[in-house]
Amino acid sequence: MWLKDTQGKKAFRHGHDAFNRASEAAAECGDFRPDVEEEWVADEERSCYNCRLRRWTAESFVCLLPA
Amino acid sequence: MNVLICIDDTDNLESRGTGELATILAEEIERRSWGSSDFVTRHQLLVHPDVPYTSHNSSMCFAADIDLAILDSLIAYAGDFLREESAVGSDPGLCVSVIDQLADPEAVIAFGRSAKEEVLNKKLAYDLATQLGVHLSEHGGTGQGVVGALAGIGLRLSGNDGRMKGWLRIQTHDGLASVGDIMAQTDLGGVRTLDGALLSATEMVEIESKPKAVLLDGKIYMMVSPVTDGGRVRWRTTPRSQLKKF
Repeated sequence: MWLKDTQGKKAFRHGHDAFNRASEAAAECGDFRPDVEEEWVADEERSCYNCRLRRWTAESFVCLLPA
Repeated sequence: MNVLICIDDTDNLESRGTGELATILAEEIERRSWGSSDFVTRHQLLVHPDVPYTSHNSSMCFAADIDLAILDSLIAYAGDFLREESAVGSDPGLCVSVIDQLADPEAVIAFGRSAKEEVLNKKLAYDLATQLGVHLSEHGGTGQGVVGALAGIGLRLSGNDGRMKGWLRIQTHDGLASVGDIMAQTDLGGVRTLDGALLSATEMVEIESKPKAVLLDGKIYMMVSPVTDGGRVRWRTTPRSQLKKF
């Protein structure tokens, strides 16, 4: 599910449109924090795509939690 | 007199979102009887390693109808508000544009579109704002948010970018509403398919949780998608996951 990027951060390896995987990843995460509603892009609230700790990149996102 | 007000880069990982600050500003304009405020829209800007942002890169814009005499007061208030309310480590920017006095609307629209595709900087933003007669100011940190604030004005002005902050409150009967009923309960320009077709008032729509609206052709539309899994009606509100391109 994750890669380490060049800065040692966790990068989601499935891109911007892997909604099921992003939901699965959030279900397994104890640190999920929903972002403000206007920044949600996934239909289910609990998704890494809707998490305040995701930082979007051109290809996907990185998780700001320690790797 | 119609103005556009846009703010950017006011938050950090712990703070209120920029959208909430925009909403508070919009409400304050009405509370002070300065005028009436319209809905807030969110505009996605370029995500790039060279662009500083917290977790997304979006600006928040709204329109207001105010008296020209209070414009300076509004700008002063909004600037102070951003300085006081923006989060530690943020780089807030404010842009206020009087629509009818905008020297070259196409130039600011082009700036907004560029901000979705390339890395822009403060100098470009300030130069254009001066040229166009638009108020642009920074209120903390590096002030980098001026780029997104000016871009947001252009994108809102384009009428073809962004999602409305919040969601539509629509009363339904067993999860369904006619387009006519939806229109009567909202300020929508219409109910529209992703192909651009407008639904007639008699069409029925299945309303999913927290339906969103998007800005298209200068109006706010609720988007619908065809029901393909044997539902009760032909149309269903388009899921949020399919609206992220707006």
